[in-house]
Amino acid sequence: MNVDVALFASLASFQPDGMPGRHARVIEFPDGSSVGGVIAELGLPDEPRVVFVNGRHADDDVALSSGDRLAIFPPVGGG
Amino acid sequence: MREIMRVNMSNLSITMEPLPEGWNRYGGRALTSAIVFTEVPATADPLGAENKVVFAPGLFGGTNTPNGGRLSVGTKSPLTGGLKESNSGGQAAHALGRMGVAAIIVEGKPNDSLARYMLVVEPDKSAKLERVDAWAGMGNYAVSDAIKGTRAADDRYATITIGPAGEMGLKAAGIAVSDPKGYPNRFAGRGGTGAVMGSKGLKAIVLSDKGLSNVEHADKDAFQTAMKVFANALTTHPVSGQGLPTYGTNVLANIINESGGYPTRNFSEGRFEGVEKISGETMREVTLERGGNVKHGCHTGCVIQCSRYWVDKDGKYVTKGMEYENVWSLGADCGIDDLDVIGALDREISDLGLDTIEMGATLAVYMDSGKLAFGDGAGALAAIKEIWTGTELGKTLGHGAEATGVAFGVEHIPVVKHQALPAYDPRPIQGIGVTYATSTQGADHTAGYAITANVLAVGGSVDPLGTEGQAALSQGLQIATAMLDAMGLCIFVAFPVLDIPEAFGAIVDMASAHTGDTWSADALMAVGKETLTYERLFNTHAGFTAADDRLPEFFKTVPLSPHNVVFTVSDADLDSVFDFVPETAAGMGIS
Repeated sequence: MNVDVALFASLASFQPDGMPGRHARVIEFPDGSSVGGVIAELGLPDEPRVVFVNGRHADDDVALSSGDRLAIFPPVGGG
Repeated sequence: MREIMRVNMSNLSITMEPLPEGWNRYGGRALTSAIVFTEVPATADPLGAENKVVFAPGLFGGTNTPNGGRLSVGTKSPLTGGLKESNSGGQAAHALGRMGVAAIIVEGKPNDSLARYMLVVEPDKSAKLERVDAWAGMGNYAVSDAIKGTRAADDRYATITIGPAGEMGLKAAGIAVSDPKGYPNRFAGRGGTGAVMGSKGLKAIVLSDKGLSNVEHADKDAFQTAMKVFANALTTHPVSGQGLPTYGTNVLANIINESGGYPTRNFSEGRFEGVEKISGETMREVTLERGGNVKHGCHTGCVIQCSRYWVDKDGKYVTKGMEYENVWSLGADCGIDDLDVIGALDREISDLGLDTIEMGATLAVYMDSGKLAFGDGAGALAAIKEIWTGTELGKTLGHGAEATGVAFGVEHIPVVKHQALPAYDPRPIQGIGVTYATSTQGADHTAGYAITANVLAVGGSVDPLGTEGQAALSQGLQIATAMLDAMGLCIFVAFPVLDIPEAFGAIVDMASAHTGDTWSADALMAVGKETLTYERLFNTHAGFTAADDRLPEFFKTVPLSPHNVVFTVSDADLDSVFDFVPETAAGMGIS
């Protein structure tokens, strides 16, 4: 299945294509992959993060579907 | 011994008086709100002689407390009509603190409306008012240069200035405070404080703290111990230790956009297609390419260092590194996706001495009227430039989003208590909607920053699209924020404080060690509650009712993409946020 993956701030460098930029990439994962499975496959560091699937917060055990948008942030704040 | 400096602009007298004993635990916002509540009639004309404008460092002002140099500016707001505290970084708070000045109260009004004054305060607290009539109409940067010409080369001083917007009495006029390099780029922006200063003929304040050391602590060793715990929390929490120093506050653009709560084109959509071009990550890359600074504190003693400078293509300073709110208001809200255009607008608005949040929201409302196309940066800059000469359009814009929306017949005017909403749509982020609706300040994100638990997963987690727990979240944050503002702490310390219990304990311990009094968690929060109680009662006396604690109707009736939701927190929940006020007021003996 294809998932639209966007990685932000310090996580942007973990995009498999190694290219800069925050725009989302369509990446193929095994059907039924969970958020946690994708994070493991991307090799993200084992640190706190904020995850959105289709603009809603999601835990690691959420199963992804083809066409989903997955956005992952390190902890950020400001205002 | 902290003292109050009273500056009377009617008879040009300057006197010192002791801080009233009952207020010895107050600094910053607690003190400015207590003074305005006590001394300004709630019915006063905001630009009249009866109103006052008060400048106060927090309780930690003038000390080596990490991030303890915030300044509170209090007054009756010409924009909201309520009690205003507008909070700024910059060097002024520490200068006042080092002198032992708890507050400067500026009152009265000169007979001659053409007179302009500069208040000069020397390190020994000797002060005088100088005529600076020739500075009338000058922008903040020109005034800053003019002040420099009056001071010795080896002086150390902070400035507090207004631009022409304040002199014209425009309701969106703010007050500029100088940063560590002397740039007048930190702002007590919101609520028209600059118009009150302008109404008193006060163009500038100079505070020299040359040769002064930091204020001593009652127990230096205990303070150092607590301070280390506090500083460690600020530098190790990922938000204040990594995200903010690396990317600045605009690191938020992408995550708020992702949540669907990034108000776009006057709050008509929740995501902006141009966000990547204006995000904090892009700002950092562009600034580094141009050789600009991407990390410094807005005041001495800041360990978070989220400030930066925006430079042009030749590497020349334009304005402060635009904050998340400014990039949003002048960017996404106006449909503008060019950081150089946003930077130019920010510089112009700051030089005029206006609130960059209010002015971005104002331009978006103006664009919504059809008078200017969304995305037209050149048109926006031309419209803003009209404020210099005070054309009819310029003055209308300078009075803010509501005045502009009314003048041009716009249906959706995003204001509460006449003040424009900042950079988070309350429909998909309902907790911030509770703060916007109920805050004593009008729509103000900083008053109770529910984005923490709603979006950022800081300080717990509350579903942003749900109604459950939002009123309690906002209430707790509003009380805590008023406390931080009273201590003179930057509100970004809240990120580690909400997640690291020892950090809150360290504030208690620093307060005890600095003052020699015994503080507790309850005593700190009592200061927050008392501050809000002064503000809430003042607003009630000024005529505010529960009907003023509501969002504009379109947030409840017009769904926002991409989640297609409306604001659904009940009126009963909104009315519960200030349920502590009657009991607190009774305890304080005020009504």
